[in-house]
Amino acid sequence: EEEFEQIDFLKDRHVRFFQRSLQVLPERYSSLETTRLTIVFFALSGLDVLDALHVIDKDNMIEWIYSLQVLPTEDESNMQRCGFRGSSHIGLPYSSKGPGMAHPYDSGHIAMTYTGLASLLLLGDDLSRVNKRACLTGLKALQLEDGSFYAVPEGSENDMRFIYCAACICYMLDDWSGMDIHKAIEYIRRSMSYDNGIGQGAGLESHGGSTFCAVASLRLMGRLEETLSERELDRIRRWCIMRQQTGFHGRPNKPVDTCYSFWVGATLELLDVFQYTNYEKNRNYILSTQDRLVGGFAKWPDSHPDPLHAYFGLCGLSLLGEPELMKVHPALNVTQRAFQHLQQLQQAWRDNVSSCT
Amino acid sequence: FEWSDLEPVPQDDGPNPVVKIAYSEKFTDVFDYFRALLKNDEKSERAFTLTAEAIELNAANYTVWHYRRVLLQALEKDLRQEMRYITAIIEEQPKNYQVWHHRRMVVEWLSDPSEELEFIADILSQDAKNYHAWQHRQWVIQEYKLWDSELEFVERLLEEDVRNNSAWNQRHFVISHTTGYSDPAILDREVQYCLCQIRKAPHNESVWNYLKGILQDRGLSSHPGLLERVLELKETQCSPYLLAFLVDSYEDALETNNTRATLNQAQEVCALLAQVKDTIRREYWLFLGRSLESKYGPTAAPQSDAASSDAADQQELS
Repeated sequence: EEEFEQIDFLKDRHVRFFQRSLQVLPERYSSLETTRLTIVFFALSGLDVLDALHVIDKDNMIEWIYSLQVLPTEDESNMQRCGFRGSSHIGLPYSSKGPGMAHPYDSGHIAMTYTGLASLLLLGDDLSRVNKRACLTGLKALQLEDGSFYAVPEGSENDMRFIYCAACICYMLDDWSGMDIHKAIEYIRRSMSYDNGIGQGAGLESHGGSTFCAVASLRLMGRLEETLSERELDRIRRWCIMRQQTGFHGRPNKPVDTCYSFWVGATLELLDVFQYTNYEKNRNYILSTQDRLVGGFAKWPDSHPDPLHAYFGLCGLSLLGEPELMKVHPALNVTQRAFQHLQQLQQAWRDNVSSCT
Repeated sequence: FEWSDLEPVPQDDGPNPVVKIAYSEKFTDVFDYFRALLKNDEKSERAFTLTAEAIELNAANYTVWHYRRVLLQALEKDLRQEMRYITAIIEEQPKNYQVWHHRRMVVEWLSDPSEELEFIADILSQDAKNYHAWQHRQWVIQEYKLWDSELEFVERLLEEDVRNNSAWNQRHFVISHTTGYSDPAILDREVQYCLCQIRKAPHNESVWNYLKGILQDRGLSSHPGLLERVLELKETQCSPYLLAFLVDSYEDALETNNTRATLNQAQEVCALLAQVKDTIRREYWLFLGRSLESKYGPTAAPQSDAASSDAADQQELS
């Protein structure tokens, strides 16, 4: 007796999955402590894609996110460490308004600043409590000579992921003084591989994640067409489109994984060729990784779901035009609705500036 | 160790915590005391010991690792011992970013990369495509100029698995940073190596990507006799990658000599890919066919048969 794969999309299960992610997680998730804000982003943006943000208390969420902002101290001696934290793991007393509290080891993390801002945005916040100058000073302090970024001022690894985080931060704050665009672009170019994909850095193996980070960053900077020739763009298109096996994998000869339906799919969309992929096979793969009991998606079928794969599985389906899902902005990785809210905010910021001068 | 002088510092998520993790008492204790030490910036043996406990509970906490590094220096700890420690941790958790960064810092402080290639080889023997491992390997090799035996290492890995894309990438990394590909003898050696691997395992995107990669900037149709070899392979060792290489070779030829004949050959292969050999990308190959037609079609030199070449001669004469 043949077992038919079930390919129906269980919207309500996924809403509940994200709701549960936002509550209490068991101790086996302890490795996520310093990155809890990214989990919040996956859950909130996931609910936004599901058009289900109404199930959460937005105001409470906004307060909690603001409590993670590393604000300048009275004497502003920590400006280069400002941004957002991933969680309260340092142990400062809860505070959702300034001034900053001096602590020898308290600093922001580039991915938390990015996901913190994106989360506030999609919750409808106007970012008025964000200290933009501090965030941008903190961001600038993270950029290296070679154009890439550290995650934290104390030092960390540096690669394409953090260039993407930096580009999103500057894009959302509408202020590119937080980075040297030219150096970042040079790093991106140096990371192009002989096989026409893009690696995490020069010489490194091309990868679907870093290819997305590079192309999306260029798009956010408004420099995609001027940085890459039409021939180079065609070559990247070819590398990306070859990643489809059923769903997508991240590197040649590796197994497929649900999240690449977004990383590679969004890159193809940014390059105007997602329309030439095989929608049915992609959709069928993503749905085969759906957890029918608990909700969410996993990287592979019959594996445990997690917030990251749940979120990117949904985004992958959104790119495919899945009926019950909101459209996702392929470069900024938030819903088009959140993106439009950002555009309105930025228009108001510009209006304010011109009315003051 | 005595802890009673320290006031533990709890985490404070305020009235409405989000994504709260439910820690056991032991976990909470370790980190409450860690936070207390951190706040006072205490530089002591007990602090150093506690970082190991905290790492065991959560090796992804980058603040603990940073504090441990501060202590390693302040207390002038034995870095050789730290190498042994970090070796064990990476073996247990080879996909964690913090542990690899920590190892890199210790290697830099010691200015001693002598254990690295062997260590990374061991990690790769467990997962031959671990991106962190390859990244660390490239850093060590470039920083300390350890190029000498790397091509040999790559060849060994490719013998084990000719489809290991990371190994092919490493091959390119080594050669481009040592001999380079400008020497025709080297380039030909690499082309022959690729053709040999293709005969053994034709369905392998990595080898075709490498072959195309080392030739594309010189022009795919510039390597003498290659097109013929590929057309031979098409009969017995065909693959979507071979056919894509063929399309790209034809396109390269069209750039310098745009003829209807070559364009038709390219179109034929696109059609074969779309209809038979790579149907998952059907729409893309059709799109590529249309693009080629619109780019080269209008100005393609006409088909070379008797009738049309007479007509062309007539035109030229008048």
